[in-house]
Amino acid sequence: MIIAVIILIALAVFGMPLFVVLAAGGLLASVSVGMDPVALIIESYRLASQPNLIAIPLFTFAGMTMAAGGAPQRLIKLFNALFGWLPGGLAIVTVISCAFFTAFTGASGVTIIALGGLLYPLLKQAHYPERFSLGLLTSSGSLGLLFPPSLAILLYGIISGVNIDELFLAGIIPGLVLLLLLSLYSYISAQKWQMQTQCFSFKELTDAIKCSFMDVLLPALIVTGIFGGFITITEAASLTAIYALLLETLVFRKINLFEELPGIITETTALVGSILIILGVAMGLTNLLIDSQLPMRLLSMLEGSISNQLQFLLLLNIFLLIVGAMMDIFSAIIVIVPLILPLALRYQIDPVHLGIIFLANLEIGYLTPPVGINLFIASQRFGKPIIDLFRAALPFLLIMLIWLLMVTYLPVMTTWWRP
Amino acid sequence: MSPITEYALRLKNILVRIEKIIAGTSLLLLLAFTIIQVVARNLFDTGFPELDIISRHLVLFIAFMGAALVSETNKHIKIDILVAFLSFRQKQILFRPLLIASAIVCLLFAWLSTQFWTAEWDYSTAHERWTVLLALILPAGFITISLHFILLSITGISPDYKHTET
Repeated sequence: MIIAVIILIALAVFGMPLFVVLAAGGLLASVSVGMDPVALIIESYRLASQPNLIAIPLFTFAGMTMAAGGAPQRLIKLFNALFGWLPGGLAIVTVISCAFFTAFTGASGVTIIALGGLLYPLLKQAHYPERFSLGLLTSSGSLGLLFPPSLAILLYGIISGVNIDELFLAGIIPGLVLLLLLSLYSYISAQKWQMQTQCFSFKELTDAIKCSFMDVLLPALIVTGIFGGFITITEAASLTAIYALLLETLVFRKINLFEELPGIITETTALVGSILIILGVAMGLTNLLIDSQLPMRLLSMLEGSISNQLQFLLLLNIFLLIVGAMMDIFSAIIVIVPLILPLALRYQIDPVHLGIIFLANLEIGYLTPPVGINLFIASQRFGKPIIDLFRAALPFLLIMLIWLLMVTYLPVMTTWWRP
Repeated sequence: MSPITEYALRLKNILVRIEKIIAGTSLLLLLAFTIIQVVARNLFDTGFPELDIISRHLVLFIAFMGAALVSETNKHIKIDILVAFLSFRQKQILFRPLLIASAIVCLLFAWLSTQFWTAEWDYSTAHERWTVLLALILPAGFITISLHFILLSITGISPDYKHTET
């Protein structure tokens, strides 16, 4: 059995698709415990009994449609009119636009592709140092991960069984604090470099608002709808998708229904398929691991050396940072959450707080080699070596690590809304 | 190009076209059905349980057909941390065995799914059979993905494989 597991790990690190590795792992585990492997399929079929899962393809479709329909340009225009006059204004615009956009596209790399290409020349034109610009754009690709309707939060809620509305609410303050920290760094850096600032123009602002009002209205409607108790997550997803589709095809007429829409739909289904297939096959394996008392065994091992919550959280951060450096965020949520959740509950960590800690760690994982996906995408987008991008992103990474400590050890940031 | 490769490419193109149609139609139907449910619930205080069941199964259709489309370009999520250290030649050597192994695992899952589906069919009542029919996507999906891995191993290395990103 151990040899088989080693072979599977070797196959995984040499490029076998993760869902195949998990499927093979499930087969091996079921054979070793003498269970009928058909149970793995029964678990996969449970995907069809998850009502919130419907939200994933619909939110992804909305994000893809907005990306293709010119929302990035409109958002940059708006945030530039709002914040561009501040020292470091363009860098702040980058941070906010990327965060806003990532919340819809699910940090799937679309942000760097869609916004990076627009913002990089602007940052260069404004004489920001190249290293700063590259680091900023690389690290901004996953910033909105904690804002509704983030795909990662949805997936975490589905896997852990934690209320998704509560997770959305819990992510808002940590998400805003990160934006504030990065904006402050940009502001201080710009002052140090004595960057020129642009003048505030009321006309530019009103033009930008006119242009992007419908885009900005969308998150406001989602947040009000969900937290006001008017609509469910699934309903919010379907309304968001239809809103984005109508906006880009009928209002702005940026997407042709017959020429461009089929491509957007294919991209959406491919992205959703690559995530959900892992979820489908992993459900069987993780259930087997839980049935075999693996979390409990881990717990008894931990209890010998870890006596309190703070120690556990520190270890959790180290472990999740390593996971984030090795695994893609969606696979990490699917595979690791079922194993970690019982341990965290034993150490009396709020599952909502745990969710935000989990995602914050993995957000940092986007920037860390060897599997930091932002580094790869930025490398392709800007034609720079990964190591250069990693060096450029280091100051931002350090800020994010400080923020991670805040999120981890100040639970009030995530659970302030609890009575 | 050998006749087998040519035949495999043609088959791959047909498969991709079918998958795009099924995945795209499923996504649009999902959108339509959920909008109908929103309108029904909020304006008429009613709902359609059948549409809900179909919508949940449509997610499976999107998942499997989307995964099949990803298999066609070998762009599945991977934790291939060591691939970056391999030469292009070494990657080529690994490419086919990994695809064949992946195809075998998917075929095993297809076989298990068929067993599951047959049992579901046998034990379902007459009025539940339509939902069991929707579950056919499980064996069909795994077979399609498996077929893609086999076809890709015939048609050769994808240029995308040079990049190691997930």
